[in-house]
Amino acid sequence: MADGDSEAFLSIREVSKTYRTLSKGTTVALTPSSFDIGAHEFVSIVGPSGCGKSTLLNILAGLLAPTTGEVVLESRPITGPDDRVGLVFQRPVLLPWRKVIDNVTLPIEVKKLRPKQAYVDKAYQLLEMVGLKGFENAYPSELSGGMQQRASIARTLVYDSRLLLMDEPFAALDAMTRDEMNVELLRIWRAQKMTIVFVTHNIPEAVMLSTKVIVMSARPGRVREIIPVELGERGLDLTGNPEFGRIVSHIRGLLDQPERGAQP
Amino acid sequence: MNSLITRERLGDVLFALGSIAVTLLLWEGIVRYFQIPAFLVPPPSDVARALMRNADLYRVHLGYTLLATVIAFFVALVLGIAMGTLTAEVRLVERTFSPILIALQSAPRIALAPMVIVWFGFGITSKVVLGVFTAFFPVFLNVSHGLAAIDREQVRLMQSLGASPLQIFFKIKLPASLPFIFAGANIALIFAMLSVIVAEFVGSNRGMGYLIVNQSNQLDTTGVFASVTVLAGVGLVFHYTLQAVRRRLLFWATDSESLGSGL
Repeated sequence: MADGDSEAFLSIREVSKTYRTLSKGTTVALTPSSFDIGAHEFVSIVGPSGCGKSTLLNILAGLLAPTTGEVVLESRPITGPDDRVGLVFQRPVLLPWRKVIDNVTLPIEVKKLRPKQAYVDKAYQLLEMVGLKGFENAYPSELSGGMQQRASIARTLVYDSRLLLMDEPFAALDAMTRDEMNVELLRIWRAQKMTIVFVTHNIPEAVMLSTKVIVMSARPGRVREIIPVELGERGLDLTGNPEFGRIVSHIRGLLDQPERGAQP
Repeated sequence: MNSLITRERLGDVLFALGSIAVTLLLWEGIVRYFQIPAFLVPPPSDVARALMRNADLYRVHLGYTLLATVIAFFVALVLGIAMGTLTAEVRLVERTFSPILIALQSAPRIALAPMVIVWFGFGITSKVVLGVFTAFFPVFLNVSHGLAAIDREQVRLMQSLGASPLQIFFKIKLPASLPFIFAGANIALIFAMLSVIVAEFVGSNRGMGYLIVNQSNQLDTTGVFASVTVLAGVGLVFHYTLQAVRRRLLFWATDSESLGSGL
């Protein structure tokens, strides 16, 4: 904790991404951006499409190399897919030919983690933790959309990842399941003491879940504003809180009015 | 749930047997009623008698045909999967071989049967070669289609876990394209048997194709029908065996029965 102030848990330093294509020349997906995220924070990223949030998430996941700058996690840079990082997709992406438990243990096989039995035990515990006890030997097609997404979260937690990246993980779920999953996610976040970066289109969802909301804007993709959310106890009942409403409308305002006539 | 499936399957089998029985009865009745001569269309009872009387003959010739068919099928399966994978995964291979393979695929390959006999002789080799030559394509095409239809997100998931290309192939691509491989294998098995029989027509001194040519030369129509019945029976056994294996391996695949192209 002593030197924790100078070294953030996750540090994004002058990270940018430029694509070169034959048809359009160069496209700036993300202008140089810098910010820090502390340990055990829950950070949401909101913004219109084309704001570079997916690019940023892919860079954090090590799936995309930044054009400039670097990402440093716990004092070590991220240079490729990393055991310290877990990625949850918009769809659960479970392999239909594997039982739920075999889907959760997939990272153990791929990463050849040892001792294997300890990790398999952990996989069973995680399934229980996400509320899928009794479904270990079911096949993904026998699970509802929400249950499948829970299994996919267990899959990213099984290999001791400390940073959980979530790419609109509940966008494909119906509104009620979505609320339920948000509450679940908060519980998992507290129980596992991890750091979450959560990309979403849904502003109230972002404010309800997060300790910090990063608002991005498009053309070129950049970080517009970083808004701390201090609302005390989190949960669905927050929606009635006046401070909650104020932050939501502030973000909405940011997204509605473009600066410097950037919009066509 | 298991017993439900078995009961359903049993029903299917009974229904199939029933429809075959009705067809045979109709056939027998029509031939007898119109007094059609046996050298044109023999009644099924005659065919059955011929089958029983010459059971050993059919067993021996079928043995040769089956051996060639099974070898051709497995060689075609291995080659088809290997080439399908290479063309889907390696751009250079795709660009080099695709034009050749497309040209070969559109050609009536079975027409090469006489040449195959000239090249590879009267023995089993020529039968296997022609069988492989025709059965390769449905496997190859389906495998390359299957690999092209892979869920990109599944690959991205594996990449995010730091998986090697080999791990991605064996844990994602191969199992995901299994339904396609099966669709191809189904057609390949039929093609292999057809080609072996055609090759036996053209040049052989054994096998079902040889037997059928002999029988028809002697105007032994009942014998020809008996031979065809034997082959139909084998076809049914092949079909249901593949179905059973498919159900075992591909329980997770949503109805992909209609998958795959013949050619």
